[in-house]
Amino acid sequence: MRRWLLVALLGVTLLLFAGIEDSIVQVGRTLEKNGVNEVRYAVWGTGDPNSVLRVLGIVEAARRINEIWAKNGINVKVTIRETRYELDFTQMYQEFLSKQPLGTAGDFLVNSYVYIAPLAEEGYLLDLTSYLEKHKELLNNFFASHIEVAKYKGRIYGLPQDTEARPFYIRKDIAAKVGLDLQGLDEKVLKGEFTWFDVYEWAKKAVQTGASEWGLIHRRGSAHPDLMQFILAFGSKLYDPADGKLVFDKEAIYKWLTIEWTFAREKLLPSDMMAWDWAKQVHPAIVDGKTLFDIGGTWYWTEWQTKDYYTDPKTGQMRGLKPEEVEQWFYYTLFPAGEPGKKPVTLSQPFMWMVSSKAGAQNPKYSALKSVYDELAFLIVAKASDPDINAIHSIISAHLPVGKPSAELLASKEWLDKLYNLQIDLDPGVKEKIAGIVKATVNPINAAFLSKVSYMLEYTNFPPVHPMYAKLSAIFAEVVDYVLRGQMDPAKAIDYAIGKINADLDLKAGVKIINDIPKDWRFGGK
Amino acid sequence: MKGKFSRKWELWAFLAPALIVVVVFYVVPLILTVYTSFTPLRNWNIQRYATRLVGLYNYQKLFHAIANDPSVRAVFLTTAVFVLCTLIVNVLGGLILALLTFFVDKKTNSIASTIWLLPRMSPIAVYGLVWYYFFHGSGVGTLNSIFLKLGLIDRPIAWGQEFIPYGPWSVIIFVNGLVGVSFGMIVLSSAIKSIPGEFVIAARVDGATDWQICRKVLIPQIKWHIMYVTTWQLLSLLTSYAHTYLLVSWRLVNKSYGTPWALYVYDLAFTGVFDQGLAAAAGTLLVLVGGLLGLMTLRILGFGKLMVEPRGDI
Repeated sequence: MRRWLLVALLGVTLLLFAGIEDSIVQVGRTLEKNGVNEVRYAVWGTGDPNSVLRVLGIVEAARRINEIWAKNGINVKVTIRETRYELDFTQMYQEFLSKQPLGTAGDFLVNSYVYIAPLAEEGYLLDLTSYLEKHKELLNNFFASHIEVAKYKGRIYGLPQDTEARPFYIRKDIAAKVGLDLQGLDEKVLKGEFTWFDVYEWAKKAVQTGASEWGLIHRRGSAHPDLMQFILAFGSKLYDPADGKLVFDKEAIYKWLTIEWTFAREKLLPSDMMAWDWAKQVHPAIVDGKTLFDIGGTWYWTEWQTKDYYTDPKTGQMRGLKPEEVEQWFYYTLFPAGEPGKKPVTLSQPFMWMVSSKAGAQNPKYSALKSVYDELAFLIVAKASDPDINAIHSIISAHLPVGKPSAELLASKEWLDKLYNLQIDLDPGVKEKIAGIVKATVNPINAAFLSKVSYMLEYTNFPPVHPMYAKLSAIFAEVVDYVLRGQMDPAKAIDYAIGKINADLDLKAGVKIINDIPKDWRFGGK
Repeated sequence: MKGKFSRKWELWAFLAPALIVVVVFYVVPLILTVYTSFTPLRNWNIQRYATRLVGLYNYQKLFHAIANDPSVRAVFLTTAVFVLCTLIVNVLGGLILALLTFFVDKKTNSIASTIWLLPRMSPIAVYGLVWYYFFHGSGVGTLNSIFLKLGLIDRPIAWGQEFIPYGPWSVIIFVNGLVGVSFGMIVLSSAIKSIPGEFVIAARVDGATDWQICRKVLIPQIKWHIMYVTTWQLLSLLTSYAHTYLLVSWRLVNKSYGTPWALYVYDLAFTGVFDQGLAAAAGTLLVLVGGLLGLMTLRILGFGKLMVEPRGDI
């Protein structure tokens, strides 16, 4: 049965990409006629340590295009001259922004969809709309919501590469110590019966009884995107499409900051949380069982398996967790509602294959052949979106697939076995680079995890695509830091944030301040 | 007539290389900065924005932020404290080191000088990392672990984040002071070495103490060098941000009270929404303030006297 499923999937894929293949052949012939035998591109990608297919997917796509050309007797070759992969996605965006005008940035950028707005606004991205109109079949390959967020002013500037949910992780062993019953807890969270009021009570119990050092660990550095979930969990929003303005909801933000303030004052959350080091403090604290709760992302699941964050108590050595350990130790639910009567949430930030509007600029006869190089760049990201490449990326990095064909592949044990043994059609160099991650992460436990968390996408939200969003979230990060450290109470932090918004004329014009600080609201019975 | 003409050309030929360097690397960028401050340039989109003009809008935004944003006001205050205190450390520290090394033997002198030069010789990121771990706010931090072991504190202290504003100010002044002190030391040491030895010997014969030799012989002889070091360091500090940038971006020190104006200019141009027009306005303000302070320093320290031609009767 599974074999037939695979054959059927392959058939559908071939059918979907028949049009793409025709275009690849045509582009190859045009290049050959113009005397171009080699086309060179560079790809810049970013993200967690396991998401290397964000750049290697382009290498693999180039190989597939070269095979098509060879099969059709076309003497042209695509070479990926540079594969650059960085962990810090903000820094990578900043570098792309500064180097693109000079023509020295990567031809492809793999980064968060939130950067589509500023990059497209400046004309730094290739508009893919006309190519996608020509290859409508490709669009059917993706979930419609992900294509929607790839749009800016009605035009499509990226193809979805992956997405994720942000589960609320709970250490099962610590929960057992303090008597927190996890049976059916995800259902309670879903119904809004387990809220941040409960999170606070259990966190307090865990710390006071000595079951764990901390009650909660969350992200460091910035408020975007994880901490923004608090605003949504208190029933508010980040953006109002009616007037195109960002929303600053004093009530929801006050409640969020009160949680940060209370947790830090009662030493349930480190007061210097925003300055913690990811590899040396944040992840080790979680995997070593020093916290009951953690706000994280789906990709944590495999990152804990491939990075040496865990100190083995028997050997004293740091190592990655085994899939069985991750499954045994971590429970996950949606991000709970802020208070009774509100709903749980999660937040996704799909990553996109984006193409520079100067893609291929370093190739021969660029001025004359620009449209050909542009189309070839589009075809490369189209091939990089092949369902199997997307599915491999999903399983090894614990990101959620962006289309049904790749999601179905993940459900196939036969395909997973082949992937585990690397008996798949992949570039040898790519295979070699991902071999270690594949061995550590390709297994039924991780596939089941991806399948189980997929329901969260029904409750997901997307950060706003607004040129001023980066400025506003930077202010949030600043006030969270002040509140955690006890340098401002939540009310003063709200005043400070509003002062900063009003002090910036551009930001002031782009942000709408609504509601008031609630007078009678109490958190956790205080 | 011909001789006069060729003499003029000789002088121009002599000065031309320096003038070209000054014009190309100082005057032209200054003009471009001022021009950019009147454009809406952002996100490095020179092609789109460089020819549009927005009048004084960037200055309006800047002064609005100065008047209303508490962080920008903190940046103003930080700049004044940082420049003044670090300048004192650099000049006085450099002078004290130069005088101390003058009185020790050659071998000790060269070892001490090399040690003080290490911060300047180290790559900025490496040097920044050393102090990052030294002042780190957790138990991992060297200073915290020493104090915890000695029982002086019972919990780790985030030195650059607590005791606002004095904590962050202390850290950035300390780190930058150590870098700058070696410059003063080198200039003033070499100035002291150029003083004829007979002066010191004569003072010793007359029974002068080391302190008297410093006060009456050495310092008066190197006052122009002290003026040079002061002015140079003042202008350098006004525009320096590299070490501070790392400490702020690594969140070792508080963003507002660890950000001098030069770093604020950098932040406007290279982070957030990359507002290069606004950054140019802030940069122009810095140039104006720097120019004024430079002139004031030269006047206070008597630069005019240095430029007076020798009377020729010595």
